[in-house]
Amino acid sequence: MSTTLFRTIQLNQFTLLGTTLFRRRSNVVSVRCCGSQTTTTTHEAKQSSQSRVAPKNHKSNKLDEILKDYEAVIGIETHVQLSTSTKAFCSCSNNYGSYPNTSICPVCMGLPGALPVLNSKVVEFGVRLGLALNCDLSLKSKFDRKQYFYPDLPKGYQISQFDIPIASGGYVDLDIPLEFGGGHRRFGITRVHMEEDAGKSIHSDTGDYSQVDLNRAGVPLLEIVSEPDMRSGVEAAEYACEMQRIARYLGVSNGNMQEGSLRCDVNISIRPIGQAEFGTKVEIKNLNAFSAISRAIDYEISRQALLYNQGKADQIVTETRLWEEGAQKTVTMRKKEGLADYRYFPEPDLPEVILTQEYVDSIRASLPELPEAKRRRYEAMGLSMQDVLFLANDVTVAEYFEAVIGKGAEVKLAANWIMGDIAAYLKNEKLSINDMKLTPQELAELIAAIKDGTISGKIGKEILFELLAKGGTVKGMIKEKDLVQITDPAEIEKMVIKVVSENPKQLEQYRSGKTKLQGYFAGQIMKMSKGKANPGLLNKILLEKLNAKE
Amino acid sequence: MATRALLAVISASPSRCFISSSRIKIQSSVSSLSLNFQQHSRKIHRIARSYSSDTDSSLLQPPDVSRLAETARISLTPAEIEECETKIRRVIDWFGQLQQVDVNSVEPAIRAEMDGGNLREDSPETFENRDSIRASIPSFEEAYLKVPKILNKE
Ligand SMILES: [Zn+2]
Repeated sequence: MSTTLFRTIQLNQFTLLGTTLFRRRSNVVSVRCCGSQTTTTTHEAKQSSQSRVAPKNHKSNKLDEILKDYEAVIGIETHVQLSTSTKAFCSCSNNYGSYPNTSICPVCMGLPGALPVLNSKVVEFGVRLGLALNCDLSLKSKFDRKQYFYPDLPKGYQISQFDIPIASGGYVDLDIPLEFGGGHRRFGITRVHMEEDAGKSIHSDTGDYSQVDLNRAGVPLLEIVSEPDMRSGVEAAEYACEMQRIARYLGVSNGNMQEGSLRCDVNISIRPIGQAEFGTKVEIKNLNAFSAISRAIDYEISRQALLYNQGKADQIVTETRLWEEGAQKTVTMRKKEGLADYRYFPEPDLPEVILTQEYVDSIRASLPELPEAKRRRYEAMGLSMQDVLFLANDVTVAEYFEAVIGKGAEVKLAANWIMGDIAAYLKNEKLSINDMKLTPQELAELIAAIKDGTISGKIGKEILFELLAKGGTVKGMIKEKDLVQITDPAEIEKMVIKVVSENPKQLEQYRSGKTKLQGYFAGQIMKMSKGKANPGLLNKILLEKLNAKE
Repeated sequence: MATRALLAVISASPSRCFISSSRIKIQSSVSSLSLNFQQHSRKIHRIARSYSSDTDSSLLQPPDVSRLAETARISLTPAEIEECETKIRRVIDWFGQLQQVDVNSVEPAIRAEMDGGNLREDSPETFENRDSIRASIPSFEEAYLKVPKILNKE
């Protein structure tokens, strides 16, 4: 027998902290790529929230009906894949999309004698996320082995943290969008722990084999476990959105759900209102988009309530269900018989993780402004909740917005331009705000030029689209194209007189009561001025001329 | 693999019967158990219990090797079961001895002491001999490991 056979024997009694600790990996079926999420980061939350409501208004009514009698209790486990350069315990590169099985070494392949060494960045990201989620940090934590057998797990165990996670006991604050009822919520965070990812299994429909790519084996993850504080699909989806937002603000992950960089498993039970004990908990996997989280939960609430109503509550069993996007329903994946026995024990190959208070303090000092703080600050600036949620959703948009107002632009005007024409342009062109040719400086100039009357709003829009497409400066463009607004009343009056005299028929109709024709005249004059006439002055002078009795 | 399998067996074994047992770690090989025990005994004293233990060795139950083998996904012949049972029982008995060490005055630790500063910079390095790793995979086809069809993780 090998000499390392009994190399380490370490036993530990772990209290049962609840089944959240006895979860299974989320990468069971490789159907991660079928989400329908958008690729334009600027609109992600908006669009997914729209798609959440759109197709099922009648169903929501049914759900409201159910929720008069039953309460749903929902908790979420979120796996955040970290955007480090290397894996958690070896120097293999952590690079999504590399050629299969090229980012491998003896450590992540689980070869005998290879020893893991923890990546300092993983600890840093763990502390960042722990602090951002208002958690207490464990100045001493440790790694444990979680043992299970699966072909994408070369070592036969996953290095994770079991009874002493790096962070625990936090919370997250968020705002529910108005279209879902609005309101502010606080959800508890049970814990955040460090662990490694498994490889990726690809299951062919044909053939009697599966394929495994181990590039992802050993890639660092942070698992965030929430308290069972959510009560609806919308709350759960907003919670997941906020996790993505925080991960992106912190720069610890790209949070991309299609690539599997952000994975959410939902635990849900329902109970008759007034009942103290929880109902039987069902786990839902394969949730590749925020809309899927919301819909899967609403479906599951309806399914379980129906069983209750039919007196078949005993048919609600502890199981894992999969969300089927095509059929818009959950289906049984496997029933659980008792708690899984992962035979956790402390990882003998890694020392404890020790954080000094100075280290924690330095990370705390380096944290960016977080989404919640940003939202509260934007709200205090007088922006509406809709504006606040849009601008704070994406940190790059927020930075742009702040740069524009930093150049002196009025807050509400800056918000309107960014959320209106600019957002539409970016969406059409599939660009991110960072790729845009219009600099914050020029947007501020543009807003100022309209506000001080140098150019009209209409010309402003034209300049905006020019700058978006080609770049350049507002001043340069105004000069080059001679776009300065005409504010000289005498000059405008000349044009008014000319247009009125050239349209005697329309003038007659106007004077006999068809006052809507004012718009026609205004349009003609504006055209003559090449859009440069000050609209207020134009209309004032035009009305005088039209209503003048000869 | 044999190493890991047996490690798994061992870790699986006493977790039920060791309820409220202390955290103990010994490093040893099968062939030189007692020697290692002596070598490490000083260290063991420094590794503390997280809870004061009222377990004594008489509570340690013999291993159910068949169940352990199943949990570790290994097949054992009756002869092997018998052989393992003796060895595992010896391991469990050492734990019985360890339970008797008085550690009441020792400050609890979550891990054995190791030299600190064991973190790595996050800079990638390619492992040069990747080809031989791939070459040693029993069933490797078209850039992937080929494995029996997987339906779920049970
Ligand atoms: Zn590696």
